[in-house]
Amino acid sequence: MFIKLENFSTIASYMDLFVEGTIVTILLAIFTVILGFCIALVLALMRLSNIRPFRGLGLDENGHLREEGFLALVSRFNPLSFLATAYVEILRSTPVIVQLFIIYYGIFSIIDLPSFRIFGFIRFDRFFPGVVAMGMNSGAYLCEIIRSGIQSIDSGQTEAARSLGMSQGQNLRYIILPQAIKNILPAIANEFVVIIKESAITYTVGVQDIMSAVNAVKGSAFIIVEPLLVATAIYFCLCFPTSKVIAYFERRMSRGDKR
Amino acid sequence: MATRDSLIQVKDLKKHYKGGTIRALDGVTVDIFKGDVMAVIGPSGSGKSTFLRSLNLLEEPTGGAIFFNGVDITKRKYKDASGKTVKLNIDELRQKMGMVFQHFNLFPHMTILDNMTLAPIKVKGMTKEAAEKKALELLDRVGLKDRADAYPIQLSGGQKQRVAIVRALAMEPEVMLFDEPTSALDPEMVGEVLDVMKELAHEGMTMVVVTHEMGFAREVGNRVLFMADGKLLEQGAPEEIFGNPKNPRLQDFLAKVL
Repeated sequence: MFIKLENFSTIASYMDLFVEGTIVTILLAIFTVILGFCIALVLALMRLSNIRPFRGLGLDENGHLREEGFLALVSRFNPLSFLATAYVEILRSTPVIVQLFIIYYGIFSIIDLPSFRIFGFIRFDRFFPGVVAMGMNSGAYLCEIIRSGIQSIDSGQTEAARSLGMSQGQNLRYIILPQAIKNILPAIANEFVVIIKESAITYTVGVQDIMSAVNAVKGSAFIIVEPLLVATAIYFCLCFPTSKVIAYFERRMSRGDKR
Repeated sequence: MATRDSLIQVKDLKKHYKGGTIRALDGVTVDIFKGDVMAVIGPSGSGKSTFLRSLNLLEEPTGGAIFFNGVDITKRKYKDASGKTVKLNIDELRQKMGMVFQHFNLFPHMTILDNMTLAPIKVKGMTKEAAEKKALELLDRVGLKDRADAYPIQLSGGQKQRVAIVRALAMEPEVMLFDEPTSALDPEMVGEVLDVMKELAHEGMTMVVVTHEMGFAREVGNRVLFMADGKLLEQGAPEEIFGNPKNPRLQDFLAKVL
């Protein structure tokens, strides 16, 4: 058999690495979601914004809206929305590992990071680029979650608010966002679980997460399957209960709707 | 054509899509006077709702003009009394036009009382106490004072629509627009909503009502518009429209619905 029990006792002496790796993975996921959410909120508002610098070109000499033609197209151009859409589509259409390498070997070879350690074992100059890369990627996905959460609110709500004289901002703040947050929150929590799993890729740039512990054992004790099984167990114990808890709260929140 | 108490003048209003191949509104001209209860009838797809929604610019017209209190609201800028060019404040305009929708569009995450006080507090700057007092008075008028703390989901369709009407009234509009207010209701609830609208009409509120309720149009309306294919085909007093229809499309329509 290729799995040997005594190999697990070998791993036991590397236990510290796995504990530290688990802490790194969790911290990485938390910071990634926070950064990703901030990026996503800005992106979503950019995509939903209605800032059209050439709006005036869409009016004819009588001040009425042009129906079609080149000028009507130009008048509908929203540069903020265009930039945000471009960001989202590029980040979603390229592999995470490519983005990670560009951030780490590209951006952070120019920017010098201080090389201190958090808690004595997290190397900041590896951890920080990992968070930035994962956060930028996750921001693109979360943007779409926030956007669809906002757009899932019936347009009649906006019509009612606007016909009562509320401005676009008041409508967003008092009517749309309070309802949309119910759809958005569970999806953000799910993104947290996804990032716990996807962050395994950051060991390729030297972030000392669970996968890097596997690699360390492999290099010094020449065993691979057993440490991988340990990593599997840790990832499962992190993700499975979390997603069950999220599902529970999601059910409770949707019950509130049928009040 | 402008008279002293003309409130809304609609001139050659057009809403075209796709370069004029689709014409939801195709040149509608009509004057709405203060105190008018105007029923808009016609087959589905005739442009009645588009017409109504254009009045408070929920739909942006592609041609023509709408004068509200003498200002053309289809233009983004206008000259005020002193001749200065000012930007049209669309939010201010909409406060003066209450709107009631087919599907009520109450805010589901707020109580009935909060539904009614949100806009008066946030838009008009009323105090919470004053807004709540007014809201309770209005709710009392439609017999729903005891449901002030309920959520919209706990109300029947007829109750929701009555709340939607008084929610619009809380902003003290000059005109009320109704977009098929009874079409989504169970038949036994139509009456309670129409009663509220009748009372409103008797109080002298200016109303434009897109409706399929011919009884209401005949009984409460003082003017009836018949629309088909985006055009205003016939208008007149209810007795005229129902008793002596001239346009063949109207005769055909009435034969089907009455």
